[in-house]
Amino acid sequence: MNHWAQLRNCSREEDKNIPPTPSARNKFPTPLIDWTAQHLKDIDPTGSRTRLFAKDNKDAPQPGDILLVTFKTGDPFSGVCLSIRRRGVDTGILLRNRLMMTGVEMWVKIYSPNVTAIEVVKRAEKRARRARLYYMRKPKHDRGSVEGEVEEYLKRRRLIRSGALGIKDPTMSTKRPESSRSGVKAR
Amino acid sequence: MSAVYNTETGCRQACTIVQMDRVQVVAHKTRQRNGYYAVQVGSGWKHPSNVTRSELGHYAGHGVSPKRHLVEFKVRDERGLLGIGQMIGAGWFQEGQYIDVRANSRGMGFAGGMKRHGFKGQGASHGVSLTHRSMGSSGQSQGGGSRVLPGKKMPGRMGGHQVTTQNVKVVKVDEEKGIVVLNGCIPGPDGCLVKLSDAIKKPWPEIPMVTSDAQAVAEPLKETT
Repeated sequence: MNHWAQLRNCSREEDKNIPPTPSARNKFPTPLIDWTAQHLKDIDPTGSRTRLFAKDNKDAPQPGDILLVTFKTGDPFSGVCLSIRRRGVDTGILLRNRLMMTGVEMWVKIYSPNVTAIEVVKRAEKRARRARLYYMRKPKHDRGSVEGEVEEYLKRRRLIRSGALGIKDPTMSTKRPESSRSGVKAR
Repeated sequence: MSAVYNTETGCRQACTIVQMDRVQVVAHKTRQRNGYYAVQVGSGWKHPSNVTRSELGHYAGHGVSPKRHLVEFKVRDERGLLGIGQMIGAGWFQEGQYIDVRANSRGMGFAGGMKRHGFKGQGASHGVSLTHRSMGSSGQSQGGGSRVLPGKKMPGRMGGHQVTTQNVKVVKVDEEKGIVVLNGCIPGPDGCLVKLSDAIKKPWPEIPMVTSDAQAVAEPLKETT
């Protein structure tokens, strides 16, 4: 047999039997999800912010609710929640308010260290039938200023914190009435 | 892409997450045989039945399993040649180190002049008919050569070529999962092959040099006539 025929006929089985090395990618196939979970332990150590916006939390803020956000500097911003944009670590809420007759919208990243508190001031009576309430920018559906509702909420909060009303629940936000979540189970 | 929040300053940094999968040194390129020094590095795994006999012999000759991707990293001299068969994990990079990132950019397909070269196009209204995004003129008349000059910027295929982003900072390293978190954005779509190397415009990181067992071959002095 000549040289080339010999090469063709040899099987070189040993070349095919070198085992692959252990793979981190096969063991951890979702690096983005793993990174999100790991980073959330640093920025949300108690898990309270995640629990507040968890999809299975029936008392979570929904589009249409009025929220009050307090920043690290102490400045508050309140408004109607038009949208909850879920992107893991970058999850944000869009709040709309009217300050001095000027519509102001603000995106707030819920996991930012600058955000100290997110409170639900008032829940919507009826569940909004869509996830993005951009129609509320039009004059017909514009809620206007939410200062009135925020004032009431802060008054109630002050009374509860001072113990005057005798309510023991520190979170003090009422549970979402079943009627405003009608149709959720149908989803 | 994701983000990193700094708990002290409250700053948010966009970051890209890259995962290293079975990165292994396959071969060396040396000045004696190839004319330059480089480390040939493979990533991933390919089933031997899908690999040609020539490639199988190449991998078997160096004692490694067949790789999905093969890439070369040029090094300055033989001291930069890592040991063949050595695994390179995410721990190769240090947090705070600067690296250069190479990847094939996202393909834009057949792109028009406005996207590809930043042409301004024409007006959206005022009587412009059917030519809002076109090139316009492609050159002069008789006085400009009576032809379209070579190299004239025109619509064509855009993207899908190698792009280098320099001085990308390493934010975090997870050795166990093979994750390297890089500051900012890097070229390429999700899931593409990315080549990371030390930044050439920054000082080298302070790590002990890991070299192969190969000794430096001294070239015999040649007579100059």
